[in-house]
Amino acid sequence: MLVRHRRRIALLGVLVVALVLPYIPPFTGEDYRRWLVGAAFMAAQAVAFDFTAGYINIVNFGFAAFVGLGAYTSGILAVDFGISPWIGMVAGGTVSGFVGLLTGALTLRLRGIYAAVMAWFVGLALMGLIRNVPDITRGSLGLAVPSLLESSENLPYYYVIMAMLIVTFAVLAWVIRSRYGLAFRAIGQNLAAARASGINPTRYLVINFVLSCAFAGWIGGFYAHYYGILTPDVMLTSHTVEVLAIAYIGGRGSLWGAAVIAFPLSIGVEFLKVQFSTLPGVHLVLYGLLLIVVMIYKPGGFAAVVRGLESWLIRSRPGDTATEAPPAS
Amino acid sequence: MAILELSGITKRFGGLTAVNDVTFNVEEGEIFGLIGPNGAGKTTLLSCLAGDLRPNAGTVRFDGRDTTGLAADRMCRLGLGRTFQIPRPFPHLSVLENVLVAATFGDPDLHGEAIARRATEMLEYVTFPRSPATLASHLNAAQLKRLDLARALASHPKLLLLDELAAGLTPGELADMAALLRRIRDNGVTILMVEHVMRLILELCDRLSVLQYGELIAHGDAATVAADERVREAYLGQNYIL
Repeated sequence: MLVRHRRRIALLGVLVVALVLPYIPPFTGEDYRRWLVGAAFMAAQAVAFDFTAGYINIVNFGFAAFVGLGAYTSGILAVDFGISPWIGMVAGGTVSGFVGLLTGALTLRLRGIYAAVMAWFVGLALMGLIRNVPDITRGSLGLAVPSLLESSENLPYYYVIMAMLIVTFAVLAWVIRSRYGLAFRAIGQNLAAARASGINPTRYLVINFVLSCAFAGWIGGFYAHYYGILTPDVMLTSHTVEVLAIAYIGGRGSLWGAAVIAFPLSIGVEFLKVQFSTLPGVHLVLYGLLLIVVMIYKPGGFAAVVRGLESWLIRSRPGDTATEAPPAS
Repeated sequence: MAILELSGITKRFGGLTAVNDVTFNVEEGEIFGLIGPNGAGKTTLLSCLAGDLRPNAGTVRFDGRDTTGLAADRMCRLGLGRTFQIPRPFPHLSVLENVLVAATFGDPDLHGEAIARRATEMLEYVTFPRSPATLASHLNAAQLKRLDLARALASHPKLLLLDELAAGLTPGELADMAALLRRIRDNGVTILMVEHVMRLILELCDRLSVLQYGELIAHGDAATVAADERVREAYLGQNYIL
């Protein structure tokens, strides 16, 4: 119990740091604050992504398309119907969740890699659709979308996306701690045993997938009203891969690992992009390399490093061993 | 009363008939043995009962209702527990969580705190030798078998299907396992076991069926089956430990 308690305090500490970060140089500058917004945006996506990949063990390669679908839904509602972006973002999440339901019902009867590939195809089809209805989406020309806030400064946006990150994390972590989370992990780790233990896999897989897609869409809505311009490129698979890399480096099956590691990684990548502006895509190479290193040397990612550190701390204080309680459900 | 009634179960994989027209009953409260040479179709037959495979022909009646072709998770919730030939743990869950899964989803009558209590009880029941907090991926083969059994029991089965639970156990572990299975039966759980370890079969089973090339070739109590010419020829002939 104490281990979990301590971890919660540590996580709160990290959160406080993240919240005051915009007031600490160099993040007081607008450019750096933009990086912070981007980092929190990646963190929220990585949490929603890991909810699926890290627990039911199915990689949603169409993830970026669901983010984009939410973005376009919210954008179009604002542009064509004058609906408030705040409502539009929720609508975006709903639409993404609904399309996630259809996709999940279609793909999740398939196993592992087949489900991943099917989800990818659905994502590509969605991107094609957005590209090919320029009357509504303006296709590759880009859809100009009204801003979420009056202010053109990054600071208020940062607190909005941080709030969204916290909500995403809190809701999904709560689900993981419930019996649903137990079912997700059981299915992800051994399908036959999960079935033999009374779990109807399709039901839980679809619930998981829909939740992940819905949050992706909601977060995508923020993206639309923050950047103010939407192109179908938002749905590119390379964006899914970036989110995947962050989620995996953070540690599969660890929502907090994904959320925390997203900040240094995403900011580091922005820094690299500036340094190597003549080499577009260099950040993807870096993600790839990091991913390989993590998969080989620390498959549990950043979360496993933290856990290792934790048990080392506990061991080095012998009077404290009794507190190493079994992980409660 | 028969808790399990199989009639005319046939399972084909393409041109191969793995199980051919198998009919027998398992009576409530007995330990029933299913034996036969490798490849005789024993595991396939179990899979047909447990809902992992759908038989091409025949019917399965479990606990008084037709359950032919029902999915494995339905069968579990109806009261059919099973262990696997090769144990299938949830590797990144703790021992306790492994059993919790079955207690949570396998027994519809169990709610709230009773779930965790059941899981703990089952680990004690099978006298699990290691801490409940141990990760399943850290267990050895014998421990995994015991965990698999605790998981199967946690869904409160009326009928337990055991697929070669004793394979690979040391003589000491074998004696423990025999005592445990007898205790499970005495607590009212019917057992259908597929097994190669004849000593365990002859010691425990009230009745036996022998499967060869997917067909039932003998049936009856242990002494009758062991004396059967065809069985001796097909299976026990080559100085098999009796």
